[in-house]
Amino acid sequence: MTTNKHNWPDKDGFFGEYGGKFVPETLMHALEELEKTYNNFKDKPEFKEQFYKDLSEFVGRPSPLYFAERLTNHYGTGSIWLKREDLNHTGAHKINNTIGQILLAKYMGKERIIAETGAGQHGVATATVAARLGLECHIYMGAEDVQRQSLNVYRMKLLGAEVHSVESGSATLKDALNEALRDWVTNVDNTYYIIGSVTGPHPYPMIVRDFNSVVGEEVVAQSKDLFNDMPNAIVACVGGGSNAMGIFYPFIDIKETRLIGVEAGGEGVETGEHAAPLNDGTPGVLHGALSYLMQNDSGQVKATKSVSAGLDYPGVGPEHSLLKDSGRAEYVAVTDKAALKAFHEVSELEGIIPALETAHAFAYLDVLMKDFDSSANIIVNVSGRGDKDINTVAEIDGIKF
Amino acid sequence: MNRLTKKLTDLKEENKKALVAYLVAGDPDIETTVELIKLLVDSGADIIEIGVPFTDPIAEGPIIQKAHDRALANDVSLKTIYDIVNKFRDLDNETPLVLMGYLNTFLSHKKLIEENQNNAIDSILVVDIPGELNLADYGITNETINTISLISPTTKKDRIQSIAKNSSGFIYYVTLRGVTGASNLDVKEINTNIDEIKKHASVPVLAGFGIKSKEDAKLLADCSDGVIIGSSIVQMIEDDSQTKEFDRIGAYITQIKQAIS
Repeated sequence: MTTNKHNWPDKDGFFGEYGGKFVPETLMHALEELEKTYNNFKDKPEFKEQFYKDLSEFVGRPSPLYFAERLTNHYGTGSIWLKREDLNHTGAHKINNTIGQILLAKYMGKERIIAETGAGQHGVATATVAARLGLECHIYMGAEDVQRQSLNVYRMKLLGAEVHSVESGSATLKDALNEALRDWVTNVDNTYYIIGSVTGPHPYPMIVRDFNSVVGEEVVAQSKDLFNDMPNAIVACVGGGSNAMGIFYPFIDIKETRLIGVEAGGEGVETGEHAAPLNDGTPGVLHGALSYLMQNDSGQVKATKSVSAGLDYPGVGPEHSLLKDSGRAEYVAVTDKAALKAFHEVSELEGIIPALETAHAFAYLDVLMKDFDSSANIIVNVSGRGDKDINTVAEIDGIKF
Repeated sequence: MNRLTKKLTDLKEENKKALVAYLVAGDPDIETTVELIKLLVDSGADIIEIGVPFTDPIAEGPIIQKAHDRALANDVSLKTIYDIVNKFRDLDNETPLVLMGYLNTFLSHKKLIEENQNNAIDSILVVDIPGELNLADYGITNETINTISLISPTTKKDRIQSIAKNSSGFIYYVTLRGVTGASNLDVKEINTNIDEIKKHASVPVLAGFGIKSKEDAKLLADCSDGVIIGSSIVQMIEDDSQTKEFDRIGAYITQIKQAIS
């Protein structure tokens, strides 16, 4: 028994007490079928070969681990390295997962693909792989997000996907997930649902983590090559938590590396106007899994607030809940204001316009770098690029095109 | 024997089919919900299923989703459910009441079970918990409240067996792949599946989701122990809640009841 090793989920899909499969009965068979297919294919050489080939030739992996010289000088301590997921095809880490899941869809003979999206990056990544395989694609997106991420909406349409604007509830990511689940319940026989984060019912949190772990695996190797050591800390933003989980996962048993997830603090965690369930939530069930959740004392899910559409979600992946409780990862929050400041700073200092989601991870460096001396190596997961956010930021800055 | 088991046993003995009527607690408001339940019972409903409002009801179609939102706007939730249940029990201590809702609201208000001291609530149906899991393990039922499990057209035989074993009250057969109020009934498939369920189930099997007309109700009652009607009622409640003249809901229920008798 290797009891000290992180080895989750268990056979029922739980990460400690979190996770599970809490869905309407109609979906149970589909989840079992998916789990069986995944377990059958994940270690097959031909599957791995195809996955890594696509990541290399279509996505452009491995993504560089890049020394951020001016950002490092800005803090005057440690060395800051950037894991450049923003350089992936379609502009974010989301493509890693969709490349893997579309292969599963193909093996399962599904001809129709659905997905939810918040910032639109997962929608674009899904539309991209669906187009590549010539599969029908439907993307569910909250009406508010359709508004603030119009560029990505148009990209999805160019890629041949149909974008469904979801008006119900708070008209954001959570409602897009509700609607995608309703579509799946209706069309379960011919439809594959590509969930975009480490959320949802088992086996999704495991599958999405595994596909996205390519990021962390590369970082392990690149750290050895570039500074001949393991990093002192890895910082990643957390909405549902897929980019963080992907980079954290290979490091969970490398205890010298601090793992830090940065949630969307919105107006400030103390105001209640945020999207930071790990900082200010309690365990609850949403979208098929038990995990930290923003809810009131009647078990109703609270509306969230964040400048970043991709982090604007009241739940979080169940494995993050386990890592929070075990103390293996630290979860903090930064405000919209701090994220926007970092967005501008990183653009000017590094020539990299980060996604607003990613800007949350950068913003936490203001606090974190004080913990380290000049010998430390700190990695920021640049989960995506900020082109999609230009309109949002311009509007906040009072600029009209 | 609780009211639900008794009612289903009585109906079976009389060779009658059960009619279950659904509405959402607090839509359009608490007082009206009590009146509506009374109306449904007086018009022929045998069992009342009270929808517990939730912000994210993933199994519901747009009609019932909107009703959940209206109820939430009135601050109705599981915590205030006895405001409705006890008022109704003052008027009627015979008709079985089933609460139907989503796991998170039940998890956050487990006191519901302690508060059910006079057994006003007969049964609980949680939409988003796998049927082979036991609600008692989650602290949301006890020996006096029975639990209703869902079986769907996609449920395979091995699961049918384990779900049937875990069900008291009745088995709720979801008649279609979809959300409540959809319209793609496949009667042949429904027939085959209910026959299969009946091989394993010791409790009655009722059919719901997508039943609108009295013709639908008749077809499905013929191959099951009864039918559940939801979206049609909820739509009429929405349409008529300004005037609060709900006569046509009563007429509709009477019509359905006659069709399945």
